[in-house]
Amino acid sequence: MSEILIKNGFVFDPLNNINGEKMDIFIKDGKIVDKVSSKAKVIDASNMVVMPGGVDIHSHIAGSKVNAGRILRPEDHVKDFEVKTKVTRSGVGYSVPSTFTTGYRYAKMGYTTVFEPATPPLKTRHTHEELRDIPIIDKGCFPLLGNNWFIMEYLKENKLEECAAYVSWLLNAIKGYAIKIVNPGGTEAWGWGKGISHLDEEVPYFNVTPKEIVRWLCKINNILNLPHPIHVHTNNLGKPGNYVTTIETMDAVKDLSKDGKVSIHVTHVQFNGFAGTSWLNLASGAPEIANYINKNTHVEIDIGQVTFSDTTTMTADGPFQYILYLLSREKWVNADVEAETGAGVVPFRYKKSNYVNAIQWGIGLELALLIKDPWKIHMTTDHPNGGPFTHYPKVIAWLMSRKAREKTLNKINKNAKRRLDLPGIDREYTLYEIAIITRAATAKSLGLKNKGHLGVGADADVAIYNLNYKSLDPSKDYKLIKKAFKQTAYTIKDGEIVAKNGEIVSSSKGKIYWVNSKVAEDIQKSMLNNLKMKFEEYYTVKMENYIINESYLHNSFMLNVQSEV
Amino acid sequence: MSGLILTLKKELKVPLDASIISPTNLVGKTIDEVKNLELWEGNKKVKINEIFHVEGENKEEDLTIKLVGDFSKARGLGFKMNGGKLIIDGNAGLRLGEKMSGGLIKVKGNAGSWVGSEMTGGTIEIERNAGDFIGAGYRGGRKGMKGGKIIVKGNCGVEAGAWMINGIIKVYGNAGIFPGIHMKGGTIFIKGNCEGRAGAEMKDGKIVILGFLPSVLPSFDIDDIKDSVKVEEEKISGPFYLFTGDLNEEGIGKLYVSINSNPQLKFWEEFLERVI
Amino acid sequence: MEKIINNVVCTVCGCCCDDLEVKIKDGKIVEVKNACAVSLSKFQNYNGKERIVKPLIKENGEFKECDLKEAIEKASKILAEAKYPLIYGLSLTSTEAIGKAVELAEALGGVIDNTTSVCHGPSLIGVHDIGSVTCTLGEVKNRADLIIYWASNPVFSHPRHLARYTVFSKGKFRKERRERKLVVVDVRKTATAKLADMFIQVAPNQDYELLSALRMAVKGEEIYLNEVAGVPTSKIEELADLMISCEFGILFFGLGLTMSLGKSRNIDAALSLVRDLNERTKFLIMPMRGHYNVTGANEVIAWQTGYPFAVDFSQGYPRYNPGETTTIELLTRGECDAALIVGSDPAAHFPVSAVKHLMKIPVITIDPHKNATTLISTVVIPTAITGIEAGGTVYRMDGVPLECKKLVEPPLGLKSDEEIITEILVNVKKLKE
Repeated sequence: MSEILIKNGFVFDPLNNINGEKMDIFIKDGKIVDKVSSKAKVIDASNMVVMPGGVDIHSHIAGSKVNAGRILRPEDHVKDFEVKTKVTRSGVGYSVPSTFTTGYRYAKMGYTTVFEPATPPLKTRHTHEELRDIPIIDKGCFPLLGNNWFIMEYLKENKLEECAAYVSWLLNAIKGYAIKIVNPGGTEAWGWGKGISHLDEEVPYFNVTPKEIVRWLCKINNILNLPHPIHVHTNNLGKPGNYVTTIETMDAVKDLSKDGKVSIHVTHVQFNGFAGTSWLNLASGAPEIANYINKNTHVEIDIGQVTFSDTTTMTADGPFQYILYLLSREKWVNADVEAETGAGVVPFRYKKSNYVNAIQWGIGLELALLIKDPWKIHMTTDHPNGGPFTHYPKVIAWLMSRKAREKTLNKINKNAKRRLDLPGIDREYTLYEIAIITRAATAKSLGLKNKGHLGVGADADVAIYNLNYKSLDPSKDYKLIKKAFKQTAYTIKDGEIVAKNGEIVSSSKGKIYWVNSKVAEDIQKSMLNNLKMKFEEYYTVKMENYIINESYLHNSFMLNVQSEV
Repeated sequence: MSGLILTLKKELKVPLDASIISPTNLVGKTIDEVKNLELWEGNKKVKINEIFHVEGENKEEDLTIKLVGDFSKARGLGFKMNGGKLIIDGNAGLRLGEKMSGGLIKVKGNAGSWVGSEMTGGTIEIERNAGDFIGAGYRGGRKGMKGGKIIVKGNCGVEAGAWMINGIIKVYGNAGIFPGIHMKGGTIFIKGNCEGRAGAEMKDGKIVILGFLPSVLPSFDIDDIKDSVKVEEEKISGPFYLFTGDLNEEGIGKLYVSINSNPQLKFWEEFLERVI
Repeated sequence: MEKIINNVVCTVCGCCCDDLEVKIKDGKIVEVKNACAVSLSKFQNYNGKERIVKPLIKENGEFKECDLKEAIEKASKILAEAKYPLIYGLSLTSTEAIGKAVELAEALGGVIDNTTSVCHGPSLIGVHDIGSVTCTLGEVKNRADLIIYWASNPVFSHPRHLARYTVFSKGKFRKERRERKLVVVDVRKTATAKLADMFIQVAPNQDYELLSALRMAVKGEEIYLNEVAGVPTSKIEELADLMISCEFGILFFGLGLTMSLGKSRNIDAALSLVRDLNERTKFLIMPMRGHYNVTGANEVIAWQTGYPFAVDFSQGYPRYNPGETTTIELLTRGECDAALIVGSDPAAHFPVSAVKHLMKIPVITIDPHKNATTLISTVVIPTAITGIEAGGTVYRMDGVPLECKKLVEPPLGLKSDEEIITEILVNVKKLKE
C-alpha cells in the first residue's frame, strides 16, 4: 500500500518526548513505521510543524439532541454553507453543522479523532447513524449513565457486581466507549420538573445522592478496567458559586484512584467554575479549582472555553437548559429520555460587553493557565456550548500569547476585566504544551494507544501546520498561530492525504470506536435474568431491539477490555 | 427614459434565482457586462442574455431597471438593493426586495410571498396583490423587517409583518390571518378587511384595521376608544377601539380596530369600565 | 417449515410497536400476534392484486413491462436531464434509503421533500420559532397523570397508543387507569373522546383562539369573554386548573391542529402554552406523527443537510424555505420539470392544481403497489416492502430509533428502496459527468 515520507518537519510528539526536533516521519499501510522505500511520496515539511492528528475528547457532533439543535435553528445554517465538490458532499455549518461538514471541517483543522460525549443509550442507534455519516475522522460516543434507573436501583440495593455487569452489558449493547455522567440525579429530578442542588441531596423516589452515584460509577469503572475514567458534568452547572460543587465532586472520588491513575475527568469546567453569589457579583472560581488540581493527581479536566459568538447550547442537563431559557427567553428544546436521562437545547450569544459572559471567558483561560501540569488539561469549547469547534485556533492563540489575551481583555466588559486574575497572568503555552492538550493528553486519557502520537505502530493520523517554528515568536505572532491552526498544510488520516491547505482532497469513512467489556459469563447471565422483566417494565421497547449489532456501525473498531469480575 | 430594460425572452419554466437583478448590482456596468452576468435557472447557470433582451443605457448613478414579462417564477428580485429603482411590468416572484436597504421597487402586477423579507430601508409598492409573509423574516430567525416601507394596493396573504421590528406596511385591500404575529415594533395599516387573529403574540408595535375584523383574540385587553390614529404622518379618522396585547407575551402592542366597520365587537365596550 | 420471529417492529403508524410476533410458514407470513387491526390489515393484504412485480415504462400512453436495468436507466436519464427535479414521499421507507435519496437530490441539483410538508410540517415550522418541550413515550407511560389528545383520534389513527404509552399503560409511578386523567379536545366527539374524563368540543378552525385563552388562564389572567371557540370560559379555566395541578402532563396533537386555520401558528400557540406551563409544573408536548418513519425522514434529512424537509440542492448546497421549497407549492406554481415519488400517492391526495402539474411532467414512482400516482407515471419501479421484505432503521414518533427486520423474501427478487435509489444514483452520477 501507499508510503509517505514527511521530510524535515519540526515534530511535536509529547507522548514520545519529541519537542520540536527536526525529523522525518515514515508512513506505510496506514501506520507510522521506521522506514519507507524510495517509492514513497515525499511531503516537504521544511519550516512546518508536524503533530499527531488532533484528538477531541468532548464535542457534541452526533445524536438526538444535536439534531434537535439543527432542526431548531435553520437560521443558524443559512449564512454558512458548503457547496458540494467532486470529493465532498454539501452541507451547512456554523454552530450546529451537518454531518458531512462536521467531518470535513475537523479534518481541515488537523483533527482526526473526535468523541461525542453524551448519548442517551435508548437513542444511541441515532448517534451511530449520524457518526456513520461523519466522514474522515474516527469517532466514538459516551453513554449517559448518571440518571439511569437501573443503576440507581442497584446502588440503593448495594449490588455492585451485578451493576458492573449491567454497565458492561450496556456498553456492549449500544456500542459505547466510556461512562458519562451529567448532573447526577439532577436530570432524574427534572423528570418531575425538580432539581438537585447539592451532592448529598436525595433523588426523589430513588433516594440515592449525586455523590453516591458518582462514587458508585467510579468503582464500576475500576472494576471494568475501562480505558477512560468516568467523564463527569457536575451538578449545579451554570450557578454562581458552583466551583464548590465541582471541587467536592472531584474530592468525592479521590480515594478511588486505582494505582495512582486518574479517577475522574471533569468536563467543561468553565461552566462549573463560577464563584460569587449572583450574576451581579459573579467571579472566577478557577484559582480555587486550579489549586485543588495542582495538589492532586486523580483529576483531569477539559476547559469548555467561551469564544464570544452566537452559538447553540446543548447538554443532557435538562434543568440547566431550562434556567438558561428563563434567563435568555430564547427558543428552548427539552427532550427527556425514559429511565435514563434528559436533554436541552437553547441558542445563546456570548457578548464581550456582557459582564457574565466576559467572566466566563476568563474562567476557561484561567483554568488552563493556572493548572501547572498540561497533561491534566484538555482544550475544548464543549462544542457548541462555549463556541463552535472552528474557533479552536482562537483558543490556541489566547493560550500561547499574552498579547492576544490583552487584545481581547481590552474589549471585554470593564468590570469583568477588573474582577479577573487573567490580566496578571504571564504564562504562555508552548507548542509542545498545545500538542499535549489537543492530542497527546486526550488520546492518553481515552486509552487510545495508537492515537495522539507518532511513534512506530501509531495510526498514521498526522497534521502538518504552516508554522515556521524556529522563526516564530508565538507571543507576538499570534495571528500566524490562528491562521496556521485554522487549516493545515496537510492532514493525513490512516496514511492518506485527506486535506491540503484547507481543501478536502480525499474522503473516507472513519472508524467508530467502542468498548467490548467482558465480565464473567455466570455473573452476566444472572444479571440479565434479573434485568429482563424490569427492563420491559421501565422501557417501551423490547430488550432485543435496544441492542445494536456491531455491523450496524459499518466501520467499527472494537476495544476488548477484561474486567475484574 | 434612461436606465436598463430587461425583457424576458421566453416563459420561465423552472425557478430563476434573480437576486442579481437590482440597481445595486448592475449600476456602472456596460450592456455587454450585464448580458454576461450569470444566474441560476433551476440547477443550471445561464447568462442574463440567454433569459433577457437587454437594452438601454447605464449612465446614471441612480439606476432605473425596468423588467418586462411574467416574473412569477423569478425569486429574489431586488435582493439586498440599496438604491435606484426596480420597476416590474408584470408579476414578481417570491422574496421580492429581500434584505433591501434603500431605493424603490414597483410591481405593476402581483407579487409572491415574502415581499421585503428582513428589509431595513427603501420602499416597495405592489399595484395588485401580494402573497404571504410580507415584511417578515427567515424561518427561526425571529426577526422580520427592520425599516422601510411596503405598500400593497390589493390584498395580502397571511402573517403580514410576522416578527416585524420596525418600518411600515400598508395594505389597501384585505389581509389574511395573523397580521403582526410576534410583532416587536413598526406599523401595519390595513384599509380593507382582515381575516382575523390580528396582533397574535405581539410584544409591541401598532396595527390599524379600517375594515372588518371578525373577532379580537381573548389575550387582548380593550384600552380605550380613540377618534383617530396616526399612521406615518397621516391622521386616520376613526373612531377606533384601541386594544392592547398580546397579554400572553406581556405585550404592549396597540391594535386599532374601526368601530363603524365592526358592530359585532360592540360587546367589548362593557369591559372598558373594568380596565379603569 | 415454520418459524416465529419475535420483537418485530411494526411499520405502519408512528407508534412503531416493537412487540409483534410473526409466524412464517414456507416463506409466507401466516399469523401475527399483538398487531392492531390496522397493522394486521397491512400484513394480510400487502401482497394483494395491487402489488406490482415487474418494472413498467409508459410508451405511447401504455405501460410495458421491462427489466429493472431498463427502468433504472430511463428513470436516471429523465432525472439527470431535468433542471429542477423533485424527489418526494419517503416516509414509508428506512432512513438508510432516505439518506441515499438525499445524495441523489444533491447529485441531481433538485429538491428533496417528504410527506412532512403535508402533515406535521407546520409543527416543525412552529418548533423553529419556539422550540419544543418533549420526551420519549416511556416518560409518559411511567410518570404522566394528565394526558391530553388535541385534534387527534388515536383510537383510529394510532390504535395501541393508549394501551402501550398512555392511559391504559402500566408505568413505574402510575400503575392504574384511575391514576391518570384523559382529556380530549376535538371538533366532534370522537372514539377517543368517548373514553375521556373530560371532553372539550372546540368550534372548527378556532383552536388558536382556544389555545390563546388557555394560555391566559394558565397565567392567571382574566378572560373577559364568556365563551371562546365555542367553549365556556369556565370550562377553559377548569382545564387550565387541571393542567397546572397535575404532576406530569402531556399534550399530544394531530393534524386537526396542523391542517386547520392557522397551521404552524396553532402549533406555535400549543408549544408556547406547554413551555409556559413549565413555570408551574412538568408539562410536555408531542406531535402524533402518522407514518412509521416520517420522523426518521426528518432526522436523516436534517443531519445530512441541516434542514428537516423541503431541501433545495439546485445551487449545489442545501437551501430551505417551506412555502418556497415544499412540494405542493412547487407543483402549484408549476416549477418542477420531473419528479421521483417514493412510497407515496400524491396524485390521490394533493390539491387538484398540484396534481395537474404533476400530470404534465415525467414522473418516476418507486412503490410496491399500484395507485393513482403510478397510473400517471412514466416509469414505475416496484420494490420490496420495508419492515416485511427489507430491513432498515425507522424512528418512532418520539425519536426513538428502531431496526425493522426483513421477515420474508420479496417476490421475484424485488430490490429494496435503498438498493433501487442507489442504482439510480450511480447512473445519474455517470450521466452528469
